Amino acid sequence: MRALLVRSLAQARYAILGSFFLLAGFQLIIIGQAAEIQRTQSFGRVAELLPAFLQRGLGSRAMLMATFKGTVAFGYFHPVVCLMVCVLAMYVATEPAHEIESGLVDLELARSVPRHRLLTRSLLLSALTVVGAAVFMAAGTWMGTRAFDAPMSEMPSAATRAKLLINLSATAACFLSFALLVAVLSNRWVTAFTTTALAAIVLYLVDFVAIGWPPMRAVSWISPFHYYPALSVVAGESGLGGNVAILAGASGACIAAAYWRFSRRDL
Amino acid sequence: MTAGPAIAVEGLTKYYGPVIGIEDLSFDVGRGEVYGFLGANGAGKTTTIRLLLDLLRPSRGRAAVLGVDCHRQSLAARRLIGYLPGDLPIYPDLSAREYLTYLSGLDDRPVPRDYLEHLLRRFDVSALDQRRRLREQSHGMKQKIGIIQALMMRPAVAILDEPTAGLDPMMAQAFRETIADLKAAGDTTVFLSSHVLAEVESTCDRIGVVRGGRLVTSGTIEDIKRNTTRRVTITFADGAPPLVTDVRGPLGPLFARIDGRPIHDVVVEPFRLEDYVARFYGEGTP
Repeated sequence: MRALLVRSLAQARYAILGSFFLLAGFQLIIIGQAAEIQRTQSFGRVAELLPAFLQRGLGSRAMLMATFKGTVAFGYFHPVVCLMVCVLAMYVATEPAHEIESGLVDLELARSVPRHRLLTRSLLLSALTVVGAAVFMAAGTWMGTRAFDAPMSEMPSAATRAKLLINLSATAACFLSFALLVAVLSNRWVTAFTTTALAAIVLYLVDFVAIGWPPMRAVSWISPFHYYPALSVVAGESGLGGNVAILAGASGACIAAAYWRFSRRDL
Repeated sequence: MTAGPAIAVEGLTKYYGPVIGIEDLSFDVGRGEVYGFLGANGAGKTTTIRLLLDLLRPSRGRAAVLGVDCHRQSLAARRLIGYLPGDLPIYPDLSAREYLTYLSGLDDRPVPRDYLEHLLRRFDVSALDQRRRLREQSHGMKQKIGIIQALMMRPAVAILDEPTAGLDPMMAQAFRETIADLKAAGDTTVFLSSHVLAEVESTCDRIGVVRGGRLVTSGTIEDIKRNTTRRVTITFADGAPPLVTDVRGPLGPLFARIDGRPIHDVVVEPFRLEDYVARFYGEGTP
């Protein structure tokens, strides 16, 4: 297992480290931006700029976006951040499809390596990638507060930030599990990765559009992002348990299906 | 492990939807034997090999390596095998040495250091070659690394798919010497698929030919030589027309037929496995 893990990590190191630093940098930038708006006392104007459909869809929670606390927290649920964390995890999780396509699976499984070990390796590495992304984001926030002398009293509490990161990680875990399942059903990495990456973008849009367009709410429950109600978490209106349990359940189902299918398929 | 054959294949069948990969394939490979598995492209050679490695799941039938079922006891069976794929997959960013280290680290089989060094020397893989990234290596060098990774742990059964593809004549000779050493040591069975029939003829004890997913002929090289007709041309010293005939078996009865006529020269076309096997490659009845 160690040899497999180290090899996969070495293969994906540039993508992983690059994304980690981008995510950390994003937090720095967003805190800098929030500090600047705070300094110029411009949050009132930010509130005026909020689209009407967001105010209708989110109600009073929308106004959180026009506060220092909400802007800093936005770094943890900005579309770029959400999609980057999910797509990075999916990139790592789809490695079995690359191994099948390149024939590397022949060399690995011609040795006494259990088939499931390839999936366990990808699962572990992608889970570690999500955890790493969360750690770098938290580190970015910590550095941002110091770099821009942010008012600690107006920062989202450590508990809120931890809840956001846990919820975001659970959402990413759901996507990486789905990616693992698609990878074991595919013979080509590009097919697996683009399918799952596009699915993530579409599902994000489904959840986002549902904020302002009620008919979409009928299907928005299929999107894992539906179970990451970040503004409600920031407002203290939403618990973590139920959403994380749903995401964990979906992840578990995808992982179980992936292991079952991989143990039976021709390679 | 039992005292049976090194590889036992019984009624092995693999369908890819409506397409036949192999059908009712049965053969045995004895321990310590070098077995040539031949057939045209798409005949079912690679499918058979991938079934032995449990990369494909059989539609029916079974295969066993040293008595260990390739599917039900897949891990134990694969622990006995060294495998060279027909098209060697690589990690381009790894050096040859890192690649071998990675592959040896995947399972719990020890790699005898002196044997690895012996293989590296025999295949002329220098310390510099070992340090170069695989993406920078020639096809022949990658093939040599592929052979080494398949044999470095001295497997009980070596399955080699097109082992000399891309090797220069010196390295093809090094390969033949390696197989000869394994045969002499007697503890490794070699299952070899190749289109280079001169190499098969010089290295294999026995061959099997597949066509359309079925075994169409098998036998030892010696038996095949004995039972294959050879073209004999006899020219006579007295100016009589030459006698051209096909002979199966010893030449004694032919000379008896000549009955004391003065022979100027006898030309016997050498046996070529290629001529024998080519008959089984086509679609028609051999």
